[in-house]
Amino acid sequence: MATVTEPAGATSTGTGSPKGSGGLLRNTWVQALAVVAVLVAGYWLTRWAGGPSWAGSFPTGIGESFMAWLDGIYAWIVANRNDSPLFLYFFNYVSVGLGSAVVLINQFLTFLTWAGVTVLGVLAAWRIAGWRVALVVLATFAVFALTGLWNESMTTLSLIITAVFIALLFGVPLGILAGRSEGFYRGVRPVLDFMQIMPAFAYLLPFVLLFGIGNPAAAVVTAVYALPPVVRITALGIREVNKGAVEATTSLGSTPWQILTKVQLPMAKRTILLGVNQTIMLAVSMVVIASVIGAGGLGDAIFQALTKINVGQAFQAGLAIVMLAIAMDRVTGAVGHGAHTPDIPEKYRMPLLGGGLALVILVVALARLADLGGWPRDWSVELDKPVNALNDSVEAAIGPASAALGTWTQTWVLGPLNGLLTGSPWWLVVLAAAALGMVFAGWRAALVSGISFLAIGLLGVWDNAMDTLSQVLVATVVTIALGVLIGVLMSRSDVFAAILRPVLDFMQTLPPFVYLIPAVALLGLGPVPALAAAVIFALPAVIRLVNDGIRGVPKGTLEAALSQGSTGWQLLTKVELPMARGSLLLAVNQGIILVLSMVVMGALVGAGALGNDVVLGLAQNELGLGLASGLAIVFLGLFLDRVTQGRRAPRA
Amino acid sequence: MSTQATEAAPSAGPSDVTFSVRNLWKIFGRNADKVVGTELERADRDRIKEETGCTVAVRDVSFDVRPGEIFVVMGLSGSGKSTLIRCLTRLIEPTAGSVLLDGEDIEAASDQRLRELRRHKMAMVFQHFGLLPNRRIIDNVAYGLEVRGMPRAERYARAREMIDMVGLSGNENARPGELSGGMQQRVGLARALAVDPQVLLFDEPFSALDPLIRRDMQNEVARLQRELNKTAVFITHDLQEALKLGDRIAIMRDGELVQVGTPEEVVGRPANAYVADFTSDVARTTVLTARWLVRDAYPDERTDGPATEPGTVLAEVLPMLAASTAPVRVVEGDTLLGYVGRDDVLRAIAQDQLEGADQVAAIEEEISDEATDHGGPAPTGGRG
Repeated sequence: MATVTEPAGATSTGTGSPKGSGGLLRNTWVQALAVVAVLVAGYWLTRWAGGPSWAGSFPTGIGESFMAWLDGIYAWIVANRNDSPLFLYFFNYVSVGLGSAVVLINQFLTFLTWAGVTVLGVLAAWRIAGWRVALVVLATFAVFALTGLWNESMTTLSLIITAVFIALLFGVPLGILAGRSEGFYRGVRPVLDFMQIMPAFAYLLPFVLLFGIGNPAAAVVTAVYALPPVVRITALGIREVNKGAVEATTSLGSTPWQILTKVQLPMAKRTILLGVNQTIMLAVSMVVIASVIGAGGLGDAIFQALTKINVGQAFQAGLAIVMLAIAMDRVTGAVGHGAHTPDIPEKYRMPLLGGGLALVILVVALARLADLGGWPRDWSVELDKPVNALNDSVEAAIGPASAALGTWTQTWVLGPLNGLLTGSPWWLVVLAAAALGMVFAGWRAALVSGISFLAIGLLGVWDNAMDTLSQVLVATVVTIALGVLIGVLMSRSDVFAAILRPVLDFMQTLPPFVYLIPAVALLGLGPVPALAAAVIFALPAVIRLVNDGIRGVPKGTLEAALSQGSTGWQLLTKVELPMARGSLLLAVNQGIILVLSMVVMGALVGAGALGNDVVLGLAQNELGLGLASGLAIVFLGLFLDRVTQGRRAPRA
Repeated sequence: MSTQATEAAPSAGPSDVTFSVRNLWKIFGRNADKVVGTELERADRDRIKEETGCTVAVRDVSFDVRPGEIFVVMGLSGSGKSTLIRCLTRLIEPTAGSVLLDGEDIEAASDQRLRELRRHKMAMVFQHFGLLPNRRIIDNVAYGLEVRGMPRAERYARAREMIDMVGLSGNENARPGELSGGMQQRVGLARALAVDPQVLLFDEPFSALDPLIRRDMQNEVARLQRELNKTAVFITHDLQEALKLGDRIAIMRDGELVQVGTPEEVVGRPANAYVADFTSDVARTTVLTARWLVRDAYPDERTDGPATEPGTVLAEVLPMLAASTAPVRVVEGDTLLGYVGRDDVLRAIAQDQLEGADQVAAIEEEISDEATDHGGPAPTGGRG
């Protein structure tokens, strides 16, 4: 009866003794400050001693040989890709199969012509999600066409369909298994957790190694990236099925298969569809990022435009992706809750379906007779020129200010922090990381932190990793400060919350890639726009968690505090924030993970550091460097997650 | 304690017994198998919990359920009664002991055989109904037939019949969420009856319903039981419900059966202070019958009083006694069983007003003294 559903492990072991939380908190922060003080002291001592060799950054010898070894593997793979049985009979088949799947779907969409695709999409959206969503879908296709990116959009769509299909093909059965078997669930949980804290960028390289550059690798990487939510949510849905219903049907003599198909799956259907929705959204964001490893389509268009700093073109492609993401979200979300699905009597359903199909076929036939294909490019509206002009004028207006801000951040915040991390003896930094893990989350996290830093050093990318880390830290501080402020304001005012909520919803459906576009437009290239994009990208999740945490404080507690004469400020600081501690810590954890994934992506707009090495590794065929950097990103993520996750209150 | 609670009818052959439960144990926890058969077996719950980390839910329970009766298991929450009924259909696997259904050992049944038994011989009604919200009422009722593989037309016909029987005609196409709690439980009942089981298992079926609807449902179950002549095991925490429905009642505490007997036995002759305390709020005059108090005539007594059936409850005997000074004659058919006088009834009522087993015992001692003074046998109401 008292089965423990709460995960044990890091959560409970790290939390420490249940002392008064105020005392513990202060204690913890004092300890953390002491660790930082030691680090700073070490830095100055090293400088005073003139930087002896035993107190510098991490020696790169091991890392270099590791990279050379990886390069060797890559060379071997390139040489043997067409000889080795592993590649000949497995990876190459998968690669060719996936490649042709993408091509096939793309050809089918081309065969339907733009008119056919639009009619099919709009009709399907109407049937599934009602006329409002159908209008959104129509608008989306209009954007595809009018930006002149119809063919790119269809490529992206084909990639998404392929990747989502693979993800569901593996994810749903895995989720069902995890839902029905406690042992299996316990086995896959840590893997899923790990997959979800990994920044998208870290996924790219291993798949290039196996599948080469191009659409197949992109499809696989997208599928793998999008897999966790559908497994997790399917398992959750199966587990949440009313125990009484399962028991009652068991008592009537159902076989396990009958329980699954007649009880669990039908009752978990909505939850599972929610998982499908999440998977599709992750696929949309990853398919764009995968342009770095040669995926065609809209992502590629943005990537090309960003490298040429053509904000106008990037804006056009970004707009198309945003519309695609929104349309995908609305349609699949509606399948989940079915709120606006038109209510059609049973007997009209089949005729309606037949009629819809007939209409699509008619339109396709007509369009093919008229020899339509993709949307003709000359019918597009040239958005890029005016946007570029606008961008130029904006840049002229605020350019000096933003440049000054950039320089200031670089000189006074990022520079010193980076200097501290790279200038201190490497072993001191490793020890400091372990100590912070200890302070915030107990010995297990300390061990993970220390090992992570050591591994980063051994990979030979110490300096760049410290650069990335300082960017993440700075962006996180800004994100948390802004997030808590806005979250508290949102929890104070229902009106503000009602206005903000749809904005947050909208922001959370956008693929991270598109956040880079306005950042570049306003701030130019370099680390600062990347940080700005990271802050904006991570803010919605933080705001939402803070707001939900404060609003989740029981009304009875608030009334009790008010009846004793608390002021609004006292209520907030003495009751609401302490009671929302679980959510606040979760907000920090989520914020830091999101920031990391975006900062790494910032390499595409010149943020340098680890992300840049990944891109460089791909572009210059220096796979050793790229892979080592990718691994370093994983270790950074592990460190940041463990340190912030350990103190997550059991309630969260 | 459990050994005394075991029924003294082991001679009954399998044909006279529907369920035969012997030395049933259910222990939750990792070391569950390390308790039964060791000296820990005799230890109390807390000690077992402390030493092995296991929770004893059902402890060495034995009883028989006879064909056609409603066997009520009553106890407070945490007494293990819900675990017990789940062990009967192996929704929970017992740790030790045996359960025979018509002489067949359920514990030894293969998965396949167990499913057969569940599909044809026993059906359960649950406290929280356990209906499938995504199916229509008729599909819920037909579920047991569907998993058996019965064709659609046939199972719908049967399901309609059952829906009709529980008084829900017209709701076939509704979803469970659209019905009230009482109606949902009628669906649960219809679903159980649809498979035409030999035994019905009720797990606190009416606890989640409000009092008026609960009374209706109790009457409904009593009626169906009479009409269909099913055997039933009925779990409840409500003593009134137990007394109303039960042919026999088993009282459970901390996983053990404390007493098994007819409603009269439980109320009139509680096995220990716990049961006495439990039944102290019951109005005895509505449970005890003339048969319970019947005695031989005292030597100098009048024997021309009004006659009554032995099954008459005391509440109905009282007016007769008020009308005549002579004791009531208890007659079954043509045989005279004996007499019930004013003093007998008064004593039974007086016990009602007293709380605690000690007082009851003290009074009973006096009674037996008094009875000896009269020179007659002690009334059966005393402790045997």
